[in-house]
Amino acid sequence: MTLVPAAVVIVVVAIAGASAALAAFFWALRTRQFSVRQLNEGATVIFDSAEDIGKPTDQLFRKPLPDKDERTDH
Amino acid sequence: MSAPTTDVHRAPAAGPDQRIADELLRIGIDASTAGPTVLYLVSGIAWLLIGSLAGVAASFKLHLPDWLGGFGPLTFGRLRPIHLNAVTYGWISLAGSGMIVWLMGRLCRTEIRWPGLLYASAILWNAGLAAGSLLVLLGYNAGMEWLEFPLPAAVTIAAAFVLFALSMFRTFAARQVEHVYVSLWYILASMTWFPVLYVIANAGLYQGVGEAAMNWWYGHNAITVWFTPIGLAGAYYFIPKVIGRPIYSYYLGLLGFWSFALFYNWNGLHHLVGGPLPTWAISVSIVASLMMFVPVLAVAVNHHMTALGHLQIVRYSPTLRFVVFGAMSYTAVSFQGSLEATRTVQEIAHFTHYTIGHAHLGMYAFVTMVLFGAIYYILPRIAKWEWPYPGLIKVHFWLSAAGVIVYFVALTVGGWLQGLAMNASAVPFLDTVGDTIPWLWARSVSGSMMTIGHFVFSAHVALVIYRAGPRRFAPAWFRKAEEVAAE
Repeated sequence: MTLVPAAVVIVVVAIAGASAALAAFFWALRTRQFSVRQLNEGATVIFDSAEDIGKPTDQLFRKPLPDKDERTDH
Repeated sequence: MSAPTTDVHRAPAAGPDQRIADELLRIGIDASTAGPTVLYLVSGIAWLLIGSLAGVAASFKLHLPDWLGGFGPLTFGRLRPIHLNAVTYGWISLAGSGMIVWLMGRLCRTEIRWPGLLYASAILWNAGLAAGSLLVLLGYNAGMEWLEFPLPAAVTIAAAFVLFALSMFRTFAARQVEHVYVSLWYILASMTWFPVLYVIANAGLYQGVGEAAMNWWYGHNAITVWFTPIGLAGAYYFIPKVIGRPIYSYYLGLLGFWSFALFYNWNGLHHLVGGPLPTWAISVSIVASLMMFVPVLAVAVNHHMTALGHLQIVRYSPTLRFVVFGAMSYTAVSFQGSLEATRTVQEIAHFTHYTIGHAHLGMYAFVTMVLFGAIYYILPRIAKWEWPYPGLIKVHFWLSAAGVIVYFVALTVGGWLQGLAMNASAVPFLDTVGDTIPWLWARSVSGSMMTIGHFVFSAHVALVIYRAGPRRFAPAWFRKAEEVAAE
């Protein structure tokens, strides 16, 4: 295939891709993904009450540590 | 699509019962992802080892050209594509798929749907990779960079990806959380874009200049629509999750995604600066490459500002150390890539080792390091077994980090000098080749460091999967838990 038909394929694919992106964008608008409430709270969906904000989670098998005073005593 | 049942984030009640319920839900979701995730991760790591060995062998051959030269399958022209395909379609794609499966469960807050498709996909994908690699070793090569696998192998891989995407979209449709988190946007976009890209590029409809245009439209977009989303989805999840702090600006996160979708896919033709293509086409690509500063700055500000103030966690958390290294590398490689696309830089850097250094900054220092970090987080939660030897993680990190830094610096400096020499008409061409040899030695040594790190990593992964080694009841941090707690 020469450059021109190849470019046609690229343009068609680009239009299809852009259409898919637009469809996704309008779906997001319709489902209010960009509403102020969702934008303000969306960053917190990766947390839950057991792995809450303010709690580092790279501590899977962590046993409770003795608190500072206890360690000083020993 | 079933209606999501929870609010934007989580149930507000945080009493003991709610915490137990959330914990049990999360454990159940993780368990549903365990089988497919382990299959993807383990096979990805196997391809990492194969690809690393092929890469190191190919690297040594650049300055020791007679080494292993008497046997066709071990010549540079065959080993180099094996390295490229094994690490991209093997390691990054399979390990990335494993990470995506696990993240989909977490982000959709539901069990994985159609897991049978995932098992079939992983098996098909590995079969396609094995067949493609064997054919390339035997000398059958489709002849385009990033697309070397002959058609039967490519069709198998495409079919595997479609099965994978079907399961992921079905899981998304069953999600139990209303909001689509920014990582999920990257994942869903890649599920849509990559199969289309891969099928069209492998269709074999193009010849001559059109083939070159298609080659680099594909080559750069494979990074755009598949490898980069893997890295960014991981970074957007693990940095805030490990620190325990939401990302700095969620607005910037979404702006970054949509501007990424708008600008990145136009970039491919900057690989053909000076080539026989219409100037306007290449110029459009260069402009789009410069526009990438918008999404990159959005991501960079977000990742770095989220980690800022919590750098003590980077000191002891294996996951965070790898992922933050990857995020910093993303900023670096993107800035470099935008500038590298300009004609001024291309005049010197094109056709030199400089480009190889850039590619490894992206595919290794960014994507691969994020994947290592993700695996250090995911695997203990699936295997219910903590990493037994934190010292091995440290060895792995420093071999990988130091390896890729030496690799990048050597090829960047060596490549730039090579470009200057090639542009100097008074310098004989063979001198420009000979002058690169010290830099190529640095490349081989640093590549060997990374490869040793990969073997250390894979041995450690085997210990966790088989629940071997000393059982730890404290997190596998780089420092003693008591020291961390004392700060």
